[in-house]
Amino acid sequence: MADTNPIRQFEVHPVLPMEVNGIDLSFTNSSYFMFLAVAGVTLLMALATTKRALVPGRGQSIAELLYEFVAGMIRSTAGTEGLRFFPFVFTLFMFILTLNMLGMMHYMPAPGWHGFTVTSHIIVTFALSMLVMVIVVGYGVWKNGFKFLKLFVPSGVPLPLYAIVTPIEVISFLSRPLSLSVRLFANMLAGHILLKVFASFVIMMGTAGVLGFLGAALPLFMVVALTALEFLVAFLQAYVFAILTCIYLNDALHPGH
Amino acid sequence: MSDQDESNHSDPRDKASDFERRLNAKLEARRVEEERRNPSRSGWSIGLRYGSDFFAGVLVGAGGGLVVDRLLGWTPWGLIVGLLLGFAAGTLNVVRAARDINASGDTGAKK
Repeated sequence: MADTNPIRQFEVHPVLPMEVNGIDLSFTNSSYFMFLAVAGVTLLMALATTKRALVPGRGQSIAELLYEFVAGMIRSTAGTEGLRFFPFVFTLFMFILTLNMLGMMHYMPAPGWHGFTVTSHIIVTFALSMLVMVIVVGYGVWKNGFKFLKLFVPSGVPLPLYAIVTPIEVISFLSRPLSLSVRLFANMLAGHILLKVFASFVIMMGTAGVLGFLGAALPLFMVVALTALEFLVAFLQAYVFAILTCIYLNDALHPGH
Repeated sequence: MSDQDESNHSDPRDKASDFERRLNAKLEARRVEEERRNPSRSGWSIGLRYGSDFFAGVLVGAGGGLVVDRLLGWTPWGLIVGLLLGFAAGTLNVVRAARDINASGDTGAKK
């Protein structure tokens, strides 16, 4: 019987074992998929911009669509000023979107011929959200200096209440990277486990006699439906991550709103 | 019948704008219809948004309280106060998320 463990898909295993000064720096299947995503995005953008036709072809249309989408998202949330962060937000969005979509492929020309969803590991999403936060805080302090702290002191509050409101605002701010990373991670993890659980039902019922074989059509139908849903979630979570990045960047650009 | 004749003889520019108006009305109607049919495709992601926002607030509050305890030896007051403030911050996060989602229409995260 096939392996029906729904958690096996998240295993990180080394492809190219490497150790530097006792630190494990192996090239894992996780790193492999990250490289694949970067290569894929780079290839798409490079191919799309070679022709630069006035009337875009297919590849160029995709690139222009993505550009317009991200640029519109930044403009609507952080204003035209926010467009200076376009390279960052676009990179982040494309990286996460490609990783999510690569994760939807069950069989890949990868080690073990098995797909892997990099974004279903919280350490990856947490690193990405910390990157966002470092840029937000760094840029906010560099641009606004001391005024950046106005984020923690909302106006229109009676003076004694600041003793409570400020710590709450600080905690709320510090919880952002956690919330951002947990959301992406939980969505991908839960969705992929659900898919695998229903897929294993198909195998279990399919090997349990004629009645089970016929009954296996039900979970199979669920797997098809869930796959469609997972594609939506994969796109939506990349979108949500990018738009929240824009909202936080907006705080850095205009604190005290 | 006579009505149709009249419209055929009218200014072509008028007709174009009339066409545009009817087209827009139709598109608008279709959009509303579509939104009504699946009001929250992304209900799951909205739920997870509330959940993770609240959870993160509580976790950071409690974690901060524990750090204060460890550094200053105020056990258990740092944890107690941090947890309470964390709950408040989590609630604030949820209220803000709800305001965002309400402001951007029923479909929430999907703009």
